[in-house]
Amino acid sequence: MNPADVAQSALPLTSSDLSIFGLFWQAHWIVKFVMTGLIASSVWVWAIVVDKTILFSRTKKAMDRFEQAFWSGQSLEELYRNLQSRPNHSMAALFVAAMREWKRSFEGSTRSFAGLQMRIEKVMDVTIAREVERLERRLLVLATVGSAGPFVGLFGTVWGIMTSFQSIAASKNTSLAVVAPGIAEALFATAIGLIAAIPATIFYNKFSSEVNKQAARLEGFADEFSAILSRQIDERV
Amino acid sequence: MKLGLTISSAGHAALLAWGLVTFSPKPFEPVLAESLPVDVISSSEFTQITAGSKTAKTIEKAPKPVVDKVGERKDPKDLTPKVTDKPEITAAAEKPPAPKPPEVKPPEPKPKPEPKPDAKKEPEPKVDAIAEALKKEEAKKKDEAKKQEEAKKLEEAKKKEEAKKREEAKKQEKLDFSKIESKLALLDKREARRQAATGETLNQTASLGLPTGRAATLSQSEIDALRAQIQACWSPPVGVADARDLNVEIRLMLRQDGTVAADPQILNRSPNPLFQVAAESARRAILRCQPYRLPAAKYDVWKDVEVNFDPRDMFRG
Repeated sequence: MNPADVAQSALPLTSSDLSIFGLFWQAHWIVKFVMTGLIASSVWVWAIVVDKTILFSRTKKAMDRFEQAFWSGQSLEELYRNLQSRPNHSMAALFVAAMREWKRSFEGSTRSFAGLQMRIEKVMDVTIAREVERLERRLLVLATVGSAGPFVGLFGTVWGIMTSFQSIAASKNTSLAVVAPGIAEALFATAIGLIAAIPATIFYNKFSSEVNKQAARLEGFADEFSAILSRQIDERV
Repeated sequence: MKLGLTISSAGHAALLAWGLVTFSPKPFEPVLAESLPVDVISSSEFTQITAGSKTAKTIEKAPKPVVDKVGERKDPKDLTPKVTDKPEITAAAEKPPAPKPPEVKPPEPKPKPEPKPDAKKEPEPKVDAIAEALKKEEAKKKDEAKKQEEAKKLEEAKKKEEAKKREEAKKQEKLDFSKIESKLALLDKREARRQAATGETLNQTASLGLPTGRAATLSQSEIDALRAQIQACWSPPVGVADARDLNVEIRLMLRQDGTVAADPQILNRSPNPLFQVAAESARRAILRCQPYRLPAAKYDVWKDVEVNFDPRDMFRG
């Protein structure tokens, strides 16, 4: 950037409006890019947050309902028939997967009891992994924004301060009126970075603990169910 | 996911809109403090403050000191010291017999050893008829005041006794303008005067500066020139070459023709046994090298100078 350009850009700096749009439009294009990226990531973070909140609350409710139905003494066959077509939550999916494997072992021409227990456990493990993956999906975005957001904002700030110092050097005027708008505009980038990063970090922590809780619940259910099935197998053999 | 994205975008848009409305910087209102002009000047700049007035309108780029009278350059051969008679100062006779301060009179009429080169140094007898008259008038005033007070007291006593004479008392209290007018005539109505400033060239416009400024101080180079002239004659004693603290400070009084007016004084002391030798040799050098060539117009400044001698300068090469 040659000094003449900087001097040109220094002129509007002195008579700047400091509204949010003013701060944005006066910024260097790199800073603009950083700001836009940060705002977009903030939008995306909040979208994920809303999505996950709904998903987790729904999953939790569905699990409660399913557990209630499961332990109510209802016939498992009946429950399976109800859920078979649309296993709409993770615990139902787990149950359906195990039952399917169980059924296949009985429905076939040859009864294959040997290793049924192991197969069921394998199937349940795979289902748990898939379900946890579904719950965890996009949480990594939150983690990334939470850790990288401040750095990206800081980059925008450093760049903005750099250019504002260049314009100071070009205009050969160090009065606060020349320095302040550039720095305010540069700090705006960090502000956006923090605005994006703080909720991302908080919600990432919250959701990852939630995922752990639900995964533990699924594991517990899988163990219990596999114990029940194991008893059934032993009785039938 | 769609729902979340919609909600998030809507939330951000709302937040931005709210920010547009409310996020307007309040202009910072600084508390106006009285500003204090601060300038950093070096000591040499301070000593060379131009003679002028604080309120001068023009700030000249190369300020010149005010000069009313061109200092005359005297012939160096003109050695006869001019003795100007000081007019005697006659103190006005004091009426109240105060104990007279013992006048310190020199035992003999002092012949001035130095010529008086400056026109501005002429002591004009300022105590004159006016002062005398003023003092007499003051004494009179005191007497009158006393009399008036006595009269007043009498009247007040009378007042207390009879209220009829109040009018008379008021008459007496009235201001007597004729008396004041007679005193007004005694006021010194002459314009304020100053002594003529001498310099190299005439200059009537005052530049920015102080009345007491002396731009015409000896610059360091001129002091160096004087020292160089002295050192030309100086042969420091052998053995002082690596003496550390052998700096000799000598006070030097010069006549206008550049000759030494009085025996140079050695100002500092040193426990070094070589010091006395070095100092003596410096003194001899000063006496041997006169007269010195220095700017005549700045005689005021160099008639009494202090010069530092460091033997190391002589050997350093």
